[in-house]
Amino acid sequence: MRRLLFLLLLAGCSKGPEADLQYIGQARSAAAEWALVNEQAADDKLTGIYVDAMRKSLRQQIETAKAALTVPDSAYAHEMATLVATPDNAPPQELRHHAEQLKQIEDSLESA
Amino acid sequence: MNPLELTLGIMTAVGGFVDISELVFAAKAGSKFGYALIWVFAIATVGIMVFGEMSGRVAAVAKQPVFNLMRHRLGLKLGMLTLLASLIANLITCAAEVGGVAMILNYLTGAPFRLMAIAGALVLMASMWVLPFKWIERTYGLLGLFMIVFAVALVAIHPPWDQIAGGFVPQIPKGLSTKELLIFAYFAVAIVSAVMFPYEAYFYSSGGIEEEWGPKDLPMNKITCTVGFGLGSLLSIAILASSAQLFTPANVDPQLLGSSALEVAIPLGTTGLVIALLGMLFAISGAAVETCMANAYSISQFFGWEWGRHRKPREAPRFTVAWVTFFALALLIILTGIDPMQLVEYAVLFSILVLPLTYLPLLLLAGDKSYMGEYANGPVGKTLGWLYFALISLAAIGALPLYFLTSGGQG
Amino acid sequence: MKPTRRIKLISQLLDLPLIDSDGNYCGIVDDIELEGSPGKKTRLKALLVGPGTYSGRMPGWAMPLIRLIAGDRVTRIPVTRIESIKSFVQLDSKAEALGLNKAEDRVRAWIPEAGAL
Repeated sequence: MRRLLFLLLLAGCSKGPEADLQYIGQARSAAAEWALVNEQAADDKLTGIYVDAMRKSLRQQIETAKAALTVPDSAYAHEMATLVATPDNAPPQELRHHAEQLKQIEDSLESA
Repeated sequence: MNPLELTLGIMTAVGGFVDISELVFAAKAGSKFGYALIWVFAIATVGIMVFGEMSGRVAAVAKQPVFNLMRHRLGLKLGMLTLLASLIANLITCAAEVGGVAMILNYLTGAPFRLMAIAGALVLMASMWVLPFKWIERTYGLLGLFMIVFAVALVAIHPPWDQIAGGFVPQIPKGLSTKELLIFAYFAVAIVSAVMFPYEAYFYSSGGIEEEWGPKDLPMNKITCTVGFGLGSLLSIAILASSAQLFTPANVDPQLLGSSALEVAIPLGTTGLVIALLGMLFAISGAAVETCMANAYSISQFFGWEWGRHRKPREAPRFTVAWVTFFALALLIILTGIDPMQLVEYAVLFSILVLPLTYLPLLLLAGDKSYMGEYANGPVGKTLGWLYFALISLAAIGALPLYFLTSGGQG
Repeated sequence: MKPTRRIKLISQLLDLPLIDSDGNYCGIVDDIELEGSPGKKTRLKALLVGPGTYSGRMPGWAMPLIRLIAGDRVTRIPVTRIESIKSFVQLDSKAEALGLNKAEDRVRAWIPEAGAL
């Protein structure tokens, strides 16, 4: 019961890394999916139109997540800014590196 | 029983089972919890089999669709509340489906989203205007069979079949934190809602009247609901399983409609991708048409207007105005710029809240010997019906708190 | 069931759909008119159809909105026009002859004939 109330309180909390957790997760997922899309595109498994549409939507997701952050001067915010500046056809390994960085931050915040 | 009609009926049910909500939540569920939510899909599918069969049986025997009899059982005041709630839930669902159609057309053609929303809506409305009921149902249902490519894709990635089979056993994964448990519960509620959407009972029962079902059609009704919905559900489970196999190791929580198609592209390449997108397009288009017609059926039946696409538009004028208006409203909602994925969340939330009000009158009617005679619910039907009513009531009570506590499953 | 037999007004009649002699839906039994007096037999006299009957059945605050949207028309169907009562009320005449479905006819004027199979 106490954990439930804590979560309710957390849901009401509006600032701090805990509040940014869901946005870090969204950006991490979008970066990982972007890597997957670019990897499959390099293997000619996707149509050009689909690739363009997915890259646009995934980049938009990262931008939206970054804009929602309550701690703009954090390590994860810088990571997201780097992703936003990354070209559409960036190598999958580069995108995965950023996704993994965000995942590490996400995991450490969740275990805190 | 005509074997051809039966086969077509089953295939239509399979192709028409999956809609945007199931696509989205199956992919999300797989990536987040592996195979652990398969059993919820299975249980919810049995639920829609039970209530689908009941709504078809009521249509065939009482010769009246659910909403006519619903008002009779609940009375005007509670009936009006149910009508308004279901109109809103179905309208949101319809808007989500229209948005889904636009997104997929964008993935296929690259044309702007808003333009595709308008074009898609116009084509769907034209099909509803021109085609009689049976052709509407069959066209979208049979074209939706392109979705079978998701099952093919799953086989192609050689998943751990023993783990998938294990997913059918009711379970809660071990070692989940309180927050993860709440998210798991939210997904369970969302899956029940997505599979048992209220519009399905309204559309199916009205369809039975449109096709002039009688007691002789009851065996076909039963087989269509069990085999058709069962096989259709396997497509949703295939999407979940592929997501677990491909997205979880890659740290992807799919948030986009296009993510589901990626599951097929990875093993099957461009051809698989295009077939998957076409399957999604037709399945979601069919759902857009069904939700719109469900609303037109509901309002027409509630007020005693002439209704049905077995009649030409001019022969059921207020029904015609109703479905045109609802489709236009759904399109307007999409054109406001709201994210269709957000609409999917609202659709499952509103629908689960309406579900108990939808299914209670159906359950009472299907068990009422004065309407159903020898075809009233037997002991098995009664037991299953009340068990599921209890389940969806519990889900309805938990839905809003879970939504807020988990930020719509985002954590 | 014939309307001359005993009938449970709420569970067997109220809010049932009406179907005319051509098989067309033409409204819902929104209210009923009874004849009789205390201590004497009560008989069904007529069915009442239309939003004008809602005022006894809907909350007062909703009525201005209902009147604005749907009007306050009431159409009276004498019990002699009822052929049978089952899961719907079967009438023995066409809807137009009974003063029903007027709104349907008005809306029909706006619907084109073309295109439908």
